[in-house]
Order: sequence, then C-alpha cells, then structure tokens
Amino acid sequence: MNSAAVFDFTCPVKTNSGNKALEHLPVELAGLNAVNPLIVANARAVGPKAVRTLMNAFGDSKMTLGLFEGVTEAADLGVVDHLKNICLEKKYDAFIALGGGKAADVAKVLNLAVSLKTPDARQLSPKTPVRKRLLPLVVVPTAGADGLETSGFAHLNRMIFSSEFLAPGLAVLDSRLARARKGILMAATGLAALGRAVESHVSADRNPFQKAYSFAAVRFVRENLPAAVADPGNKKAALAVLNAAAMSGCAFSNAASGRLHKLGQVFYELLGIPQGVIMGMCLSRVLEDGFREGSCDPAALLQPLAGDDAFARTPAGKRAEAALALLNRFLEELRGALGKDLPKSLSEAGVSGYRKEEILDVLGKDEDGHYLRGVVEGMAGGKRERKG
Amino acid sequence: MSIIKDVQSGKKPLKRAYVAIFLWFTGRAIQAAAKVDSEVKKEFEKLPEDFTFSLGCLPCGPWMVVGREKGVVKYLGGDSRGRPVQVRLAIKSLDAGFLILSFQESTALATARNRLITDGEIPQALAIIRILDIVEVYLLPKLIASLAVKRYPSWWSFGRKLGGRIGVYTRTLLGI
Repeated sequence: MNSAAVFDFTCPVKTNSGNKALEHLPVELAGLNAVNPLIVANARAVGPKAVRTLMNAFGDSKMTLGLFEGVTEAADLGVVDHLKNICLEKKYDAFIALGGGKAADVAKVLNLAVSLKTPDARQLSPKTPVRKRLLPLVVVPTAGADGLETSGFAHLNRMIFSSEFLAPGLAVLDSRLARARKGILMAATGLAALGRAVESHVSADRNPFQKAYSFAAVRFVRENLPAAVADPGNKKAALAVLNAAAMSGCAFSNAASGRLHKLGQVFYELLGIPQGVIMGMCLSRVLEDGFREGSCDPAALLQPLAGDDAFARTPAGKRAEAALALLNRFLEELRGALGKDLPKSLSEAGVSGYRKEEILDVLGKDEDGHYLRGVVEGMAGGKRERKG
Repeated sequence: MSIIKDVQSGKKPLKRAYVAIFLWFTGRAIQAAAKVDSEVKKEFEKLPEDFTFSLGCLPCGPWMVVGREKGVVKYLGGDSRGRPVQVRLAIKSLDAGFLILSFQESTALATARNRLITDGEIPQALAIIRILDIVEVYLLPKLIASLAVKRYPSWWSFGRKLGGRIGVYTRTLLGI
C-alpha cells in the first residue's frame, strides 16, 4: 500500500454502540435538527419486540413518531412513491431504518425521494443526480443485518442507487437488538461483514482509512463470531458482530464492488438467500483465485485473522498461504458448529436447477460475468473447481 | 387508513420519579456539604461569585440547579429558567441518568460511554464532579459509593466520615 498516493475516503456515519445506545436517539435527532422522524421497519423480519424496544427508547421525549412497519422483501419504488406522498404531507424530517436489508434500502431511497421532492418516485434511477445533503437518516441494524446499512448504496427494483449522501448520518447499535434467535442469523451477518471487509482489505487500491475499518471488522468477526454463533443470546459477541458489519459497510462504500459482494447480492435479490451464506460458500475460492491472478494480496489478512504475534512470527513470503489456511479453518469451524444450518453448496441451500440458470443469466451480464458464472457452477455441487 | 401510524412516545414515570428524587436530595446535600466539609467549601470558593450549575437529563429533565448566592451555596430547585447557568452537565437520556444514579454505571464509565454532555468551562465542570464525588461518599455506604466514584477516599479519617455524614444528612433533611 502506498500511503503517499492520492486517495479519497468518505464516511459520514456517526456510530452509537452499546448498552442503551438507543435511548440517546432523541438527543441525537435533536442534534440533527429533526423532531418528527419516521421509523421504517420490516416488522416480520425484526419482530415486534425490536419495534417495541425502539419505540420505548423515545419514552419521556414528548416526540410524535411515524411508524411504517410494512416493508417486505418485495418492496419497490411504488411503495416508496406512496410513502413519499404521505411523508411530504405529514412533514417527516428524518428517517429511522430499523433492521437491515430491505428496510434500510427503502429508507435510503425514500429519503432521496422526499429530500429531492421527486414528483414520482417511480422515476428514480441510479442516474438521478444527488447533489445536496438529504434529510437525516438513522440506521438501527438488528441481528440479520448485512452491513450495507452503513454504506452509501441502496438496492431496490434490481437497481443500485449509489451516493455518499445516501449513507446514514448515524448508526445505532444496541446490544438488545443485536441478539438473534438462531446461530445462522449471526453467521449470515458475520460472514457478510467478513466477505466485504476481506475484499476491501485485500484490494490493490485500498487506502489507510479503508484498511483501518476493514482490519477492525475482520478482527471483530474472527474474535466474536464463533461465540455469537454458539450462543446467539450472547450480547457482547452479538454486538461485536454487528459492529463489524457496520464497519464493513463503511469500508465497502469506499472500495470497488468486489466479486463476493456481487455474488452475495444477486442470490439475495433473486432468491432471498442471505448474502453471508453465499459469501461463506465462495470466500475461499474467490480469494485463492484472486491471489493466483495477482489481483489481491491475502497476506494482509494474516494480522487481523491471526493476531499481531503470529503475524510477526510468519515470514513475509508465507503470510498469504497462512492467511488462506487460517480463513479456511475458521469457515470449517463455523460449518462444524452450525451443521446443516449453514449450507456448503447451492443444492444444500435449496437452489433448484432452473433458479441457478436464472442466477447465471443475471451474472452473465456483469463485466466479470464469465468468472462469476464459474464460481456459481463450482458452488452448485459443493465441489471446488480448479483451473488448469 | 394511512399505512403510517403516528405514535406518541410513551412515558417512564418510575424512572423519572427516581431520578427526580435523587437529584432533589443530592442538590440539598451539596448545599449541606458546602457548610460541613472544608474541601467542598474550598471548591466553591474557587468558583466565581453567582456561579450556577445544573445537572439533569435530556431532553425533558428532571434537573437539579445549584448556585452561589452572595457567597452562600444554595439548592435552587429543578428549574433554571430566568437564571444564567454557567455549567450544564446533561445526561443524554433519562435511562442513562437512571443507570448512573442507580450506580449501575460510575460517572467515569458513563463519560467514557459518551452519556454525558458538558456545556461550559471544563475546569469548572471538573470542580463540580469533585464536589459530587465528595457528596456521594457522605451520602452512600462504602459499597455503593465505590461504584459511583472513580476512587473511594480510604484516606479520609473516621472522624471526617462520621461527623460529615451526620452533618450532611441532618442539614439535607432539614434543608438548612
């Protein structure tokens, strides 16, 4: 890494993390000049208890909150347009996305539509210019978050909206919302964070700020994901995994969209399989191939994965292999702990042949399509395809 | 029917009552300690004449206001309106206030966890924290006070602790 090179790094996200972090929301919103926020949630995904916990955090603040808890995986720009009209009428001045995935995406695009006062939100597209700051956006990720909540990206209607102004101004990570009911939810969050952080950390054009975020994210996942998976009720470990997801989103916002992200996203959008599950399946292969092609440097992963002492003890020439071996062992341990809950192949994940073809068609349109299709074919039977 | 529900934020009457009673009692105890304890007296003497500070919870209270009036330290109630306040120590939420004032979190830990906002001069705010620490040592048994203050003053003489406690409690309860 050339630290003297010219680089850009933007991270407008303030993070409030820890016990009772949610209770700071009224003051934080006041600091953002917001008094009438709208909560956007997928109540089915996060559960009524999470909604109640968030509402209780506003207790004694004398605020009136708007609550829309009907976000579904099928939410599109039509829903955003309907919400936008109500928001303009009721003059909501901030948005709070509760949970990850679609709720955060809808909140980001809704914020865009309301801030720009777009006459018809269905006309919004990634080409819509965003040249000014939008209304305050707060994200409150819960277990099952994918890390993209803190990024400047929003995926809706199979379009990718991208702007630094889409990124939230505040991320609130509360230990009460971090706990999951099942280990697989924690694994999906942790693996999505790991995948994006790893891609950001090993990319050739990484900069020191990006590296700082991805380093911490990888280390947090390495140190806490096994405990969070073994006991999804472990507040400390679950919160650390949520922190890692938030950091991976910040690092990812400043990196080029990588292969792992593309694979994870396409499976999530078409089949609803969590990105982390797919990233966990193909992480080793994508890294090994990148190392062989010379497009990434896995040696940089050894320090966050193995710790400072092990990194110092390993000769520079062997760090890449050591990091890859360690990563494989980590993933195997995770699979061992989760058993059948964490699929090793697409067939175990229940992806039928014709759905796989659909995925292959979409990936074929990508500039890296040929490679990505090869990875999917390799994942289909759980076998490792090697070149040459 | 709109797909967006408007919900009024709820209330937390028990926590609010606990924090309000604690602040009321502590305010009166500061007034008492300024007469009983020489260290508290000295701290106040270093502060400007007509100095006033408040401690409470955002966004809607409760608050405690203490100030010097003609050289005498007085608890001025829970409303600072109509009076210039030089230092405002604000706890970010009622829940955070409850954590701190029920000794689940020490002041130092709460500060490290970004739960406190200081509006005013830092040296004056630090003087207030030192005064609060001394008052808490007088008011609370050692076990609880150790949780509330950063370092329990084991070097205090038995006479200072006992005499101070009697003086502070008597004056606090009588409001003198």
